[in-house]
Amino acid sequence: MSEMTYIGKSVPKVDAMEKVTGQAIYAADLQLPGMLFGKIVRCWEYAHARVTHLDLSEAAKVPGVVKVLGPKDVTQKLYNCGVLDVMVPEDMGKHLLGDIEDQRIFTDHVRHQGDAICGIIAESETIAEAAAAKVIVTYEPLPVYLRAEESAKPGAFQFDERKPGNRAFQLPEQMFPGNAYGWGDVDAEMAKADLVVEETFYVPKVKQCQLEPHAYVALLDQRGRLNCWTSTQMPKPVQNKLSRLFEMPVSKLNLVSTTIGGGFGARLGMVFEPETCAMALAVPGRPVKVQSSREEDWVASESRHPGKYWMKMGFLKDGTPVAADAHFTSDAGAYFSHSSGVPFTTGSWLTGMYKYGAIRYKGDCYYTNQSPSGAFRGYGNPQTNFAMEQIVDRGCEKLGIDPVEWRKRWHKQAGDDGWCIGVPYSSCSLDECLDKGAAAFGWKEKRALYANQTGTKRRGVGVSVMNHTSGAMPMLLEHTTCTVKMNEDGSAVITIACSDLGTGSHTVLTQIAAETLGIPMEEIHLHINMDAAGFDIGSHASRTAYVGGGAVMKACQDVNLQIIERASNHLGLPAEELEIKDRHVVTKMRDFNKTKVPADHLRNTHWGIEASMSVKEICSTGIYHFVNPMTGEANGAPGQIQGYASHFPSHNSPPFGACFSEVEIDIETGQVRVVEMVIAHDIGRAINPSNVCGQLVGGAQQALGMTLTEEMHYSEKGLNLNNSFFDYKLFGPLDMPKLTTILVENPDPIAPYGLKSVGEAGPVNPVGATANAISHALGIMFTEAPITPEKILKAINEQGIA
Amino acid sequence: MKTRLITLCVNGKDYRFEVPHNRTLLQALRDDLKLTDVKYGCGSGECGGCTVLVNGKDSINSCLTLAAEMEGKHITTVGGMTKNGQLHPIQQAFIDAGAIQCGYCTPGMVMKTASILAHNPSPSEDEIRRGLEGNICRCTGYESIVRAVQKASQMMIDSECNCITGGSCQ
Repeated sequence: MSEMTYIGKSVPKVDAMEKVTGQAIYAADLQLPGMLFGKIVRCWEYAHARVTHLDLSEAAKVPGVVKVLGPKDVTQKLYNCGVLDVMVPEDMGKHLLGDIEDQRIFTDHVRHQGDAICGIIAESETIAEAAAAKVIVTYEPLPVYLRAEESAKPGAFQFDERKPGNRAFQLPEQMFPGNAYGWGDVDAEMAKADLVVEETFYVPKVKQCQLEPHAYVALLDQRGRLNCWTSTQMPKPVQNKLSRLFEMPVSKLNLVSTTIGGGFGARLGMVFEPETCAMALAVPGRPVKVQSSREEDWVASESRHPGKYWMKMGFLKDGTPVAADAHFTSDAGAYFSHSSGVPFTTGSWLTGMYKYGAIRYKGDCYYTNQSPSGAFRGYGNPQTNFAMEQIVDRGCEKLGIDPVEWRKRWHKQAGDDGWCIGVPYSSCSLDECLDKGAAAFGWKEKRALYANQTGTKRRGVGVSVMNHTSGAMPMLLEHTTCTVKMNEDGSAVITIACSDLGTGSHTVLTQIAAETLGIPMEEIHLHINMDAAGFDIGSHASRTAYVGGGAVMKACQDVNLQIIERASNHLGLPAEELEIKDRHVVTKMRDFNKTKVPADHLRNTHWGIEASMSVKEICSTGIYHFVNPMTGEANGAPGQIQGYASHFPSHNSPPFGACFSEVEIDIETGQVRVVEMVIAHDIGRAINPSNVCGQLVGGAQQALGMTLTEEMHYSEKGLNLNNSFFDYKLFGPLDMPKLTTILVENPDPIAPYGLKSVGEAGPVNPVGATANAISHALGIMFTEAPITPEKILKAINEQGIA
Repeated sequence: MKTRLITLCVNGKDYRFEVPHNRTLLQALRDDLKLTDVKYGCGSGECGGCTVLVNGKDSINSCLTLAAEMEGKHITTVGGMTKNGQLHPIQQAFIDAGAIQCGYCTPGMVMKTASILAHNPSPSEDEIRRGLEGNICRCTGYESIVRAVQKASQMMIDSECNCITGGSCQ
């Protein structure tokens, strides 16, 4: 690895100062002159009902109410809040995905608790809330379905006539013959197996719980532009979707990215931008702020896809995984949203992990009356990890094979088909992750130590591996445009549309720019302005460092080329002989023909004379380009230097990882304590090691929640029972285990600076590792997450324990 | 709604203003005084995003406190921690430990840390974790925040700094 100045350094985040002093502006912090407050009135009493009567007249009379908006006072156009349709060609979207637009801004058909029925715009939040209480509404209750198996039954209420049987999506036949993803003859291969392990799992509905509740401001300004201040992860696709929804040209929409108080997928697409913009359109010239409460955020925005995950794996005696068969039937919730994405990727993480002889994965999802399911960090990967890794461990246990050794033998390697069949993995350091992780964790020792336990407290250890992606290429559009403007003092401004969800991606982009340009980070400013910036697909699929970073690197290289070209002309030296070092263009070779070089550009160095021209001089004379009126001589080459890249990555350089987890279970209370965890991650190259570790540790908190404590509960009527941090149990500072992170750095041959992603990897394999540790401790496999003390006690009572 | 005229000293500055009896301190700070460095996360005392310091020592959830009850009290928000443009050691420690990700919990975490250290200048790791229990972070997994509190404690001991509130309430 060559010596790097800015890459590989745990520099503080570029936005740390404003965040630690409270000066960062999140959407809810905006104060605009003449600002009004919008209240989205939601149905709280029913999960499924028709609005038979809506009377807004009393609400309109409340002093300070500016406008009340019923379903017909705003656009009636159907929309899909997700942005996947922006990422695939239109014909592919229509052909493969079918009709995916099924939401209205204000609805008369409530499909989940918290569905929006009307809106109120008032001079203050208090007034808007008072008016909301005066809305008179009558509902006709409709039957409520909470799980796919209920809504899929014949005779069930049809959510959408275009989706027979309430099936929102299944892998389309045109692209996936037999509606399945995989390879080989599964039935024939499975028949050869010496051991078949088959289980049906349940993965829970889990909430992102980003700490900043969704908030927006929108303004239809005097020039007729609709401005929207939003914490979306996907500004450009959201601009596109809002333009379609309101039938306004893209140029009439201006999105302003505010600081993002956590995303994790919760802001992957439109959330309450449609309602906020509809309100702003109703009061031209006045900004409208919509601040959702935590409860609203909880019931009206998306969650992870829950569902039933059937899986069967066939092994030979020596462990060879001859076949795998799987079917993930997920609950889409009330609307289509991401229903085409997660059912596919859930299978792609499965097919991408091991060298099965044959595999067949089916994925589909059905409407229910829960809040819509959508994107949540990992995008199907935590669900797959829970099922796949437990099946593998059951197989290993029955065959007497060490789970670490089995994984080392059978995981896919560089050159093998990746998660997207046909795109081979470009690199894989999973063996090193497993070796280093196992050594740091004391895998063999602990495995032996906990083999025959007695007593109340039982310990167990488990391992899990994972694969993910850096960007969504080739399934979805991957594109970031970046411009780099060089100022007269040699400093740079990077204009780009990438969002930073709090992961530190803006810091990483700045580090990449600093390294490539060879100037200090303090002299590089990231300009995040949607009008000024070119296209970017958004911060999803763990892509910002990889694709955004690639764009920044290329645009900076473009700057360097221009600088060298000008220096070459000025110094009279071939460009190949020049390089940029320490903010100067200098000669690479010692023996150059110095006679051509102007004397003021020669300098003595410890190794002799070199030609040198400062980058600052080149940048400055390009801007302040003066021509001597007497001689006609110019002071340099004209034109401000700007670099540009419209970057489409050629790959998705996948990260891998191994996680080791140790638990202690009280078999009398069912309480699980996670004692220790070691996470080894194949990062390619860590641009900012501190950020990488932060992603892994933070991801572990989310994974442990999904495995042990987190689940959205619903009453029979479909009303959410735990829409608060009090009732929905997150892992707190006292619950977290002792954590060790190991970064395995073998630069990927394709990636910019060799980097691979980490963001979504975090919450994946602590899931399987912890579930396996529990199984190891008790000898009981738990197929339903979260694995709560109640489930543990029940299983111990029913199945007994050694 | 009846109102009451109150005086609050926030970050060393006196504010005299009228509040409805049911106005929370969080609303008063954010909406009346425009101090948006105090964050709304849940409105029911469950996330700690709105944590502020009272009289330089005790942390409270400003969303659960009525503004009218705070008459005459000194309130410190994260915006009051910086003195003469210099970060408070707690703030510096959060940056150094990489304890800031999305930053939304940070104002509350910094103020909670101030309270922890005001009561116990050199807490054990367990005492720190117990102290942070009421403040939710969904980004960091708490590891870096615990390190930040340890670091802040050490920095304050080393520099003999006993000024928890950045001197804003003297």
